Amino acid sequence: MRRAFEETLYQLAAQDERVIFLTGDLGYQVFDRFQRKFGRRYVNVGVAEAQLVNAAAGLAAEGWRPVAYSIAAFATARPYEQIKISVCYPHLPVIIVGAGGGFTYASSGVTHHAADDLALMCTLPGMSVVAPGCPDELRQLMPQMVSAARPFYLRIGKFGEKDYKGATEATLGQARRIRDGQRIALISTGDIASEVLEAVTALEAEGIVPLFYQFHTVKPLDLEAIEELSRRVAAIVVVEEHGLYGGLFSGLCHIKAMHNYDFKLYRLGAPDEFILGNPSRREIRSRLGVDAKAVRQTCREAWNDAAGDETKRICLPKDAR
Amino acid sequence: MIVNEVQLDLPPTPDISLLQQTARKVRATCVQMAHDAQEGHLSGALSCVEILVVLFSYFLRLPNGNPWSAQRDRFVFSKGHACAALYAVLAETGYIPAEWLSGYAVADSPLPNHPCKRALAMLEMSSGSLGHGLGFATGMLYGLKMKNSPARGIVLMSDGECNEGSVWEAAMFARAQRLDRLIAIVDHNNHQAVGKHDELNGFTSLGEKFRSFGWRAVEVDGNDIQELIQILDRVPFAKGRPAAVIAKTKAGAGITFMENDQRWFYRTPTTEDLEAALQELNVRPIHKGQP
Repeated sequence: MRRAFEETLYQLAAQDERVIFLTGDLGYQVFDRFQRKFGRRYVNVGVAEAQLVNAAAGLAAEGWRPVAYSIAAFATARPYEQIKISVCYPHLPVIIVGAGGGFTYASSGVTHHAADDLALMCTLPGMSVVAPGCPDELRQLMPQMVSAARPFYLRIGKFGEKDYKGATEATLGQARRIRDGQRIALISTGDIASEVLEAVTALEAEGIVPLFYQFHTVKPLDLEAIEELSRRVAAIVVVEEHGLYGGLFSGLCHIKAMHNYDFKLYRLGAPDEFILGNPSRREIRSRLGVDAKAVRQTCREAWNDAAGDETKRICLPKDAR
Repeated sequence: MIVNEVQLDLPPTPDISLLQQTARKVRATCVQMAHDAQEGHLSGALSCVEILVVLFSYFLRLPNGNPWSAQRDRFVFSKGHACAALYAVLAETGYIPAEWLSGYAVADSPLPNHPCKRALAMLEMSSGSLGHGLGFATGMLYGLKMKNSPARGIVLMSDGECNEGSVWEAAMFARAQRLDRLIAIVDHNNHQAVGKHDELNGFTSLGEKFRSFGWRAVEVDGNDIQELIQILDRVPFAKGRPAAVIAKTKAGAGITFMENDQRWFYRTPTTEDLEAALQELNVRPIHKGQP
């Protein structure tokens, strides 16, 4: 996804001379081509995240469309107040990019883990929070973000995520149906989508066919999609590489409670604790129970548990009615 | 009052005694505002009155007095808590109506007790949380430089604000990018909210800090209009280098019983205080305040 990010950024900068890229001294060699082509529209501010964000905000105030890039853990928590005061308070068109959200930098340890980035960014008024699941989804969403001209947080993955196709193209603010099914639904955000897809494919062989929605936009949450799911399924399994508070699960709980929706909820995600020992990402996903294997297991449970629920079987997706 | 015309090459010759009189009037207005609103932060407002008067009556290039011109100097008021002085100067120079001053720190007024761009659109940015203005201005100037704009960026900061690490991140960037149209003016009144600036910095020099970051820095008497003008006329001090003006001022300047008295950081004037201050200044406020 890092490559797709660079390519999309390059294209956007070529089309729109207001696009300017700032980095907090990260992205070794990834942006060399961009720097050669666009010169002073590539700015390395140094290891200075407060300055990264404040300078981006100042540029936005002067009519530029800054994209400010760092590792997710450093791009969000460190300059949180700069994002709040300099970007969100005046509602400026700055895109904060957190590379490697969740446990992408697993083996680098707690300092590099970002299981709180979505939560932090979701608390900010006027901030939209986006976490694509594959390079193709990122390519579709980034131009929409530049056009929307408001504050964004974009969580991107690392390298090599597999592309997938949805029933629809990726549109900001709209959950994307990747697989249709019945009885239960899987929803995810960010590049954990690959684990979910692997699980869904394996489950089909067992005769278990959950719907799968990718919520690439965590804020604002797609209320219509949740409403539709509430009519169609007896249970929703949320899979996220994020902590308990403030992520996709937390957002869904909020909406479910507000609207008194009737479905059972399962959550696969990070616990409220630091992950010690610097294990690999695969190992962390396995330990936390957010890998394809854990998704399959939970779906079997949810599927069997919901077998007696006749109320929601016959609903078709809205676009098929 | 005086509003600068477009005279990029020939600045008007300033009438120092007139500016001094303006400063007294602005001071009286600040005390009246603090009295009426029962709002603190008065000593830090009074300390930067001369700086603001010199900026808005002389130094800032706001073509045809238009705060929206693309060519305008970008003025960032980063020590937001001292905004009574900013508002008074904006009223005195005709940018806002004098009647607005009665709404200082009143709910839903254009003049809240920390400046809000969404309430007063002519501001470059909102302020109140310290340490953001310099970094924001470096972004503006970087963008302006790419468009070959002649506009300068002037940031008024407090000395306490220089406790913030983000100020030095911005200082590093400004030198690295050779932003020599950037001028940071530090209102060095030595009185922070609770402690003294010198003590909290281990008696190290602000000017030396900026110089070690590759800036050109000069120390001036920040309550002396003539000296401020002489120094500001010399910026940029060197090609490729941002300029820092360390303006040594008195907290509560101009009102004897407030000068360098820590209590006046938060204290609000009683009616007796107001009367005593107006008597000493021997001038009426710009607006009609409460008795």
